[in-house]
Amino acid sequence: MKTENVFQITNLNLHYGTKQALFDIAMEIPKNQVTALIGPSGCGKSTLLRSLNRMNDLIDNCHVDGLVQYENDDIYDKNYDVINLRTRVGMVFQKPNPFPMSIFDNIAYGPRCQGVKDKKTLNEIVKNALVNSALYDEVKDRLKEAATSLSGGQQQRLCIARAIAMSPEVILMDEPTSALDPIATAKIEELIQELKKDYTIVIVTHNMQQAARISDNTAFFLMGELIEYDKTDLIFSQPSKKQTEDYITGRFG
Amino acid sequence: MTKIEFNKDTKFSMKHNKKTDRIMQNILLIPTVLSASFVLMILIFISQRGVAPFLPSEYGNESVNFLRFITGVTWYQPPNSYGIFFIVVNTVFVVALSSLIAVPISVFTALYIAKMTPKPISKFFQTIIELLASVPSIVFGVFGLGVITKVVLWIASIFGLQTAGGISTLATVFVLAMMILPTITLLSITAINSVNLDLEKNSLALGASKMQTYFKVTLVSAKSGIFAGIILGIGRALGEATAVSMVAGNAGSGPSFDLFSTTRTLTSTMLLGLKETTGLDYDIRFSVGMVLILLIILTNLGLNYLKKKVGRFS
Amino acid sequence: MKHSKRRRLDFLFQGVITITSMIGLFLLIAIFAYVFKQGSGLLSWDLLTSDYYATTYDTYYSDQLGDEVFEKPSHLDESVYFSSKWGIGFSTALDNEGKSYMLIAYIDSNSPLRILPDKNNEGEVVEITENQALLKVIFTNYTIIMSSEGPENAANLFDAADGIIDMITTTSGKGIRGSIITTLYLIILTLIIALPIGVLSAIYLREFAPKKSKIVEILRRLIEMLTGVPSIIFGLLGAAVFIPFTSTFTAADGGNLISGALTLAVIVLPVIITSTDEALKVIPDDFRQASLALGATKTQTTFKVVLKSAIPGILSAVLLSVGRIIGESAALIYAIGTAIKDQIILTERSTSLAVHIWSIMAGETPNFELASAISIIILAVVLVLNLIVKFIANKLSYESRTS
Ligand SMILES: Nc1ncnc2c1ncn2[C@@H]1O[C@H](COP(=O)(O)OP(=O)(O)O)[C@@H](O)[C@H]1O
Ligand SMILES: [Mg+2]
Repeated sequence: MKTENVFQITNLNLHYGTKQALFDIAMEIPKNQVTALIGPSGCGKSTLLRSLNRMNDLIDNCHVDGLVQYENDDIYDKNYDVINLRTRVGMVFQKPNPFPMSIFDNIAYGPRCQGVKDKKTLNEIVKNALVNSALYDEVKDRLKEAATSLSGGQQQRLCIARAIAMSPEVILMDEPTSALDPIATAKIEELIQELKKDYTIVIVTHNMQQAARISDNTAFFLMGELIEYDKTDLIFSQPSKKQTEDYITGRFG
Repeated sequence: MTKIEFNKDTKFSMKHNKKTDRIMQNILLIPTVLSASFVLMILIFISQRGVAPFLPSEYGNESVNFLRFITGVTWYQPPNSYGIFFIVVNTVFVVALSSLIAVPISVFTALYIAKMTPKPISKFFQTIIELLASVPSIVFGVFGLGVITKVVLWIASIFGLQTAGGISTLATVFVLAMMILPTITLLSITAINSVNLDLEKNSLALGASKMQTYFKVTLVSAKSGIFAGIILGIGRALGEATAVSMVAGNAGSGPSFDLFSTTRTLTSTMLLGLKETTGLDYDIRFSVGMVLILLIILTNLGLNYLKKKVGRFS
Repeated sequence: MKHSKRRRLDFLFQGVITITSMIGLFLLIAIFAYVFKQGSGLLSWDLLTSDYYATTYDTYYSDQLGDEVFEKPSHLDESVYFSSKWGIGFSTALDNEGKSYMLIAYIDSNSPLRILPDKNNEGEVVEITENQALLKVIFTNYTIIMSSEGPENAANLFDAADGIIDMITTTSGKGIRGSIITTLYLIILTLIIALPIGVLSAIYLREFAPKKSKIVEILRRLIEMLTGVPSIIFGLLGAAVFIPFTSTFTAADGGNLISGALTLAVIVLPVIITSTDEALKVIPDDFRQASLALGATKTQTTFKVVLKSAIPGILSAVLLSVGRIIGESAALIYAIGTAIKDQIILTERSTSLAVHIWSIMAGETPNFELASAISIIILAVVLVLNLIVKFIANKLSYESRTS
């Protein structure tokens, strides 16, 4: 069976000022699968993730060379519309970051920014996003309450719901459970399994068990280089590189 | 799982999005340039009005001789003998004396609030100083005329001296000292609080007493921040108008260093006897304003130079 | 030996510092004590609501007097002397300058004196009401009441007379209603002008301005310089720029409330820009990133998310500005003028409360009582505003520490 790729990365080099953070990265992100990025802290996982929806644009001295194609379009082309890209490639951050507004307004925020005004549509979008992020039952009676009144795990699922409300094709997640307790983490992992039927997911994780549990493919990075990229079970059962093996057996990192 | 799609048309949004941000950036530049332009407006328009009295034929035949203005030691309105030299001297004298009074009080108060008292009391005192800082100038004026002048009168009577109802150089000095005290204190508190605690601990460990540590380590390390507060306070004092005008009097000549006689500062000259809003006696106040601006700038430059020199040895 | 000397010296220093640091507290108390002692007697609803200028009425009574006998109402106390023939009662009162005068303390609704013809305007009438002062009466029997007459005598003389050739009364005056209205106008106008300019400038500088741009750095510097400009210099700016400006575009001729508000707007601009900027600065970048990652434009991000979080900071800016406007005097003396008014018109002169004080203190006989009464009002408002700002700041820093 031939898998379809949503992202195609070729020869990607990225600098922060004079410091190079990514070296000659080449990889594909297959559609409707979970791809995990692992590696020791500072190896460039977040940097790579951010280069997929061009959040690196916000960093002053960040310079990108090479080709990142999303659905065969070069997203770093100067005529490419970043904002449209971000409506198709959603993102969930490490720290839950709901806006200081109500639960409803948080989720309706993205669609509203795209000009959706109709109340009925918005209600539908919000409800659908909450159901799909397994949060609906917990918050259905308090949609007008401040989002910050939710627990940390709920806030993170709200952020996932907020991303889902845009009906993106891809969701990027940067260590989404690192700030959460084990129970909240389990819920989010469960949710990711559910979501991958409809969405392509790229997840950065610090936690190798997590990568092993939830991902289909795993990419291992070291000091800005892609060391090994393969099916998750292969990476964890018979890594082809010594560094990978050292890392997943906990010899460093 | 359902997905609810809505219109995210690429072509439309691309143009639209890029444009809104660029347009917004340009729109927001307008109020910013406006805000920044006021300082320039002040310099340009005040100079324009302030230069007029020295130009021939602006007010019939009575233009003011610039040299006489700069060096003069009298200020009488009817015969147009406008001389600002003594006013500048008086202003500097009054401000210098008031900072001599205010600086030690402020630094001690800051030391007390920052170091020598438990949190609730220090918070209380800091709030008091902040409230004192927010008392408007006109209220200081009422207090100055109602109380400070009486105090001066009393002091004068001890020495058997005469004053014009207490309206005097000394009253002006007192009022100014009161007004700049909170400014210097608040900045000194910040400066003292940012001194590295380890320095103090080291000093105490070496057997220095608390007081020795405060004076030899804490204040010395906070020197530059305290100095910044003093510069700000002196700037305020030079420009303070309402309260000063109410207690300074309306001395017609000088310079005078007599604490108990009336005086005249740049700001009181601008504010007192303001009746007409045209003519020479009105426009000359803009010339006084120019001199005030110049004095404030020069004082700031001078004190900042001094601050750098002082800072170098710490 | 040396040790104990050092201890004594330490103790001395500690004492000196402690005593010195009481000076601030002492001064604040002294200011309050003084203005309360001088002004609290005058502070009344009447002071806040009455005109500054007294209106004088000149009237007479030439009709045949009926033989109705009026009853002194029971709620009036001993100090009110009542004429049962005319249905009017007098007492002694203190005016807003602390001088005593004869007050019409009561007038019956059926009193023949209620509505009288106006001597100065043929065909017009004047209404005699309670709280007017009685200055002078000449009766048809040629007895005369002067204002120095005691209320008891006055009541007796009224009872003895049948007609009035000339009666002069006056409203109390020395009130500050006009200056309160002016102050409110100035607050509203100034904020309408300064708030959008200030907030938008802060947004530009923090959110939109290109980083490392020389020009932006210059703009920033120029705005910072405004903070160090003394208020009297802003007054000159008002006189040199805003008065001519408003005179060109409105009916104004000379200083007016709009030129005053424009001047005040420049004064509070740095306050608003700094406070808003401080508020924007502490908003976590997380919010901006989350919004942009959802495909929002920078404009949407700024106005829908960032600005919302900055509201407490902007509110502080508003309160600080109001305090500054209420306290400002020197700038307004130039930018509006010092003429106290009762009828407030935007394109004409009038005084704010602070300049009202200046006006009544600048003359040969300063009115300490009224000045102190107004000072109490100004102080109360300014101090409460400052405490609220402090409270908001504490709450914000508490929240940012706990979240
Ligand atoms: N904004 C930035 N400016 C400069 N250097 C950065 C920035 N963000 C990350 N880096 C550097 O890039 C490298 C990769 O960082 P990152 O992608 O955050 O690593 P990871 O997510 O794998 O921990 C690190 O060495 C980090 O110091
Ligand atoms: Mg990371």
